[in-house]
Amino acid sequence: MNEEGKLSIGLISCSGEACPGGTISRLATQKVLRSIRPGYHFVTICLPLFMAGGEEERNFARDYPTITIDGCEKCCALKATEALSGPVSGKVVVTDLVAGERLGEGTLATRELTTEQKAMVDQVAAAILEQVDKINREG
Amino acid sequence: MAAKYVILPCNGLDKEAGCLARELALKMAAATGSEIICPVLYQTAPSRYASLLQEGSLVVIDGCATRCASRIAANNNLKIYRKITMAEEAKKRDYNPGPDWRVGAGAAAFVEDVWRSWQPVFMEAEAGRVPGENAGLFAGPLEYAIHRHDKFIFRVPLAGFYFNENDCWVQVEGNRGRVGISDYLQQNLSDITFVTPPDPGTEVEQFGEMGTIESAKAVYELVSPVTGRVVAVNEAILEAPELINENPYEKGWIAELELTNFEADREFLLDGQRYMEVLKEKVADFNAGK
Repeated sequence: MNEEGKLSIGLISCSGEACPGGTISRLATQKVLRSIRPGYHFVTICLPLFMAGGEEERNFARDYPTITIDGCEKCCALKATEALSGPVSGKVVVTDLVAGERLGEGTLATRELTTEQKAMVDQVAAAILEQVDKINREG
Repeated sequence: MAAKYVILPCNGLDKEAGCLARELALKMAAATGSEIICPVLYQTAPSRYASLLQEGSLVVIDGCATRCASRIAANNNLKIYRKITMAEEAKKRDYNPGPDWRVGAGAAAFVEDVWRSWQPVFMEAEAGRVPGENAGLFAGPLEYAIHRHDKFIFRVPLAGFYFNENDCWVQVEGNRGRVGISDYLQQNLSDITFVTPPDPGTEVEQFGEMGTIESAKAVYELVSPVTGRVVAVNEAILEAPELINENPYEKGWIAELELTNFEADREFLLDGQRYMEVLKEKVADFNAGK
């Protein structure tokens, strides 16, 4: 719990340069941060810093429920979190939700999203919030 | 065709500066045909980027002062060609990146402006940077004075070079000046790992900053001995900073300036012989522990 009595939940998103799913996961994470969920306080954890040695980030992921959001099946965020902080409370993988061919290839600029890609962002954000509810149900 | 530049941005999601670093990386990649390295995937699967890093010059873009991208490069012994830090670029432009991921209203214009200022550095034709353009103009020193102290030998060129007391020199030919650091300073710094020269087109004042040099021991701010406009930088030291250690007066020169006030500047400079006296005092003071 944080000072306001809300449950702090960490979100660790794929940083997303190696695949378009990275950008989708990044935007979906930001969308969840913007969402108003009474009772929850979302905290992003900067994955490059987490991996480069950020002790505060690693401790947070160890002490609080954390959800990883990965752009593809390489699951960099999940693997890094499990290796450096321990088991996660929830995970979302964009390519589990959206077929790879629909995502396309190459780097995806955030300002160039198609309507279909924007819908994917909503779909992934909804999946993250499902994980949040699951954490709440399971205590 | 192999990418000329390989960009390693911090890509941070939790601060605006990180998001801006990513935006600049995307812009630069699109404009120069460069490849972007995902900092996270690089940490988990470095071999994936091995050939890319061999082919292109590495540009690191940091977001905030934590400088994660630089940290990743240093941890992996990557040779950096250029570093850009969005927090510093923001300071220059009086733009205040927020503490969280929200990208401010002026972000797009800010990134555009940062890219506009860096573009000439990466698009050599536009900047008129022709390596070796004046190669014949600046001959190396013909004669050195030498000061020995214990196992150390310090060299100072006797003719054609002027020094400030900050251990930076200028070699003058007509209205052109080539600048660098002295043998004494390079030995003090020890192994030089990275050089940030002034950008071409920069107007530099005498005793103003003209870039930085990083070594395993310190980051040293270069103090310009002269006033002028930077017309070229030594591309070779970007790829091989150790050239400054090997030969600070010839291969290790840092930048070339079009001089605008040399007659007045010279009054505040030391010729080789007078600098040698200053150098001897510095060596003596250093050894006396002052």
